[in-house]
Amino acid sequence: MTPQDITKLIVRTSMRDRAAFDSLYRATSAKLFGVCLRVLNDRAEAEEALQEVFVKIWTKADRFAASDLSPISWLVAIARNHAIDRIRARRQPHSDIDGALDIADPAPGPEAAAVAAGEREKIHGCLEELEKTRADAVRGAYLKGESYAELALRHGVPLNTMRTWLRRSLMKLRECLER
Amino acid sequence: MIFEDDHGPMDGGDDLVAAEYVVGALSAEERRQAALRIERDPVFARLVEAWEARLSPLADDYPEVEPPAGAKQGIDRLLFAGDKGVTPAGASAGLWQSLAFWRGLAATALALLVVAVAVPLLAPRATPPQGGTQFVASISPKDSDVGYLAYYDPAARSLSLAHVSGERGQGHAFELWAIEGQAKPVSLGVIPAGKTIRVRISPEIGKLLANGGTLAISLEAPGGSTTGQPTGPVVAVGGLNQI
Repeated sequence: MTPQDITKLIVRTSMRDRAAFDSLYRATSAKLFGVCLRVLNDRAEAEEALQEVFVKIWTKADRFAASDLSPISWLVAIARNHAIDRIRARRQPHSDIDGALDIADPAPGPEAAAVAAGEREKIHGCLEELEKTRADAVRGAYLKGESYAELALRHGVPLNTMRTWLRRSLMKLRECLER
Repeated sequence: MIFEDDHGPMDGGDDLVAAEYVVGALSAEERRQAALRIERDPVFARLVEAWEARLSPLADDYPEVEPPAGAKQGIDRLLFAGDKGVTPAGASAGLWQSLAFWRGLAATALALLVVAVAVPLLAPRATPPQGGTQFVASISPKDSDVGYLAYYDPAARSLSLAHVSGERGQGHAFELWAIEGQAKPVSLGVIPAGKTIRVRISPEIGKLLANGGTLAISLEAPGGSTTGQPTGPVVAVGGLNQI
């Protein structure tokens, strides 16, 4: 399914078109479930989060029109932010975030192919310009929703140092991407 | 803001906060504040969106994983229950549930509100929510298999529940409670049988829910608790999340 197709489905969903919502679910739920599962690392909780995410998509689909994001990026942002909010609400963060996650290696989905390969290479190239531990921290925060506290613990540095690292890395990343 | 390496002072200001929000490292409270700003401050919202776009290629690393087959049913029940196949039988079941619910209410006398009808919350072509924020909660099993998905629309003061799993069993009732912080639970009444239930919320309880309250379900005798507090075990619990 092309980004244009997904855009149409989101727009029709915003007009309360249930068939479009069903198609949108079929086309994107695997990706969004992948996001929830990676962040939450628990199938039952990821399923709940996915349900909440699609309730949100149905309710807020009209907001997509005001966004400049690509449709799949917009959907992923909703799922990612929701999953991260959920994991922050947990009293005890999972100590071993990768441990229990037993899923197959990612096969590139249609949306992966749709993202310009250049963009992907560029951000990975820019991450490589950072020190490895700092690039790892950026990836850990983005992909797993790791907090400053968790990142500091994992890298064995004080929280404020981690905050400084990550902020500095993000600014360098932006500078590099805009080059 | 002074950084420890030799690039000198750097003040990223709002752009830095937007970046930290998007990368996902902020604490719960910092994220809550950033989310509020996104709602209220269009300039800040644009900064956040620019960061979402910038970092979005990293999302390619998320694998696609088929969600459990039943996941969509829960969503549909919540959003579209009663949408199709509304038959006279279905209608009378709704009425019966409604009466049963009112009887339950009369018995508890302490329940603060109610009206439960098995009607669609958001049927297709229904008026979309009029802006503002809404809330969802997954009321998840706690030492049980009882689960509901909840949706609260403050503008309509309407709480919708979709039954996901678990049965109450003979001679038992599910009672719904709202809890704010350390305060005592407030009863929202006995949950009638049915796949989807809609409850009208009083302004007081609406305020509690909109403050990010928690919903809990206890197992009670038919008619619900007579003490005003849960007497049976709490079988499911879930916090309301703003969407």
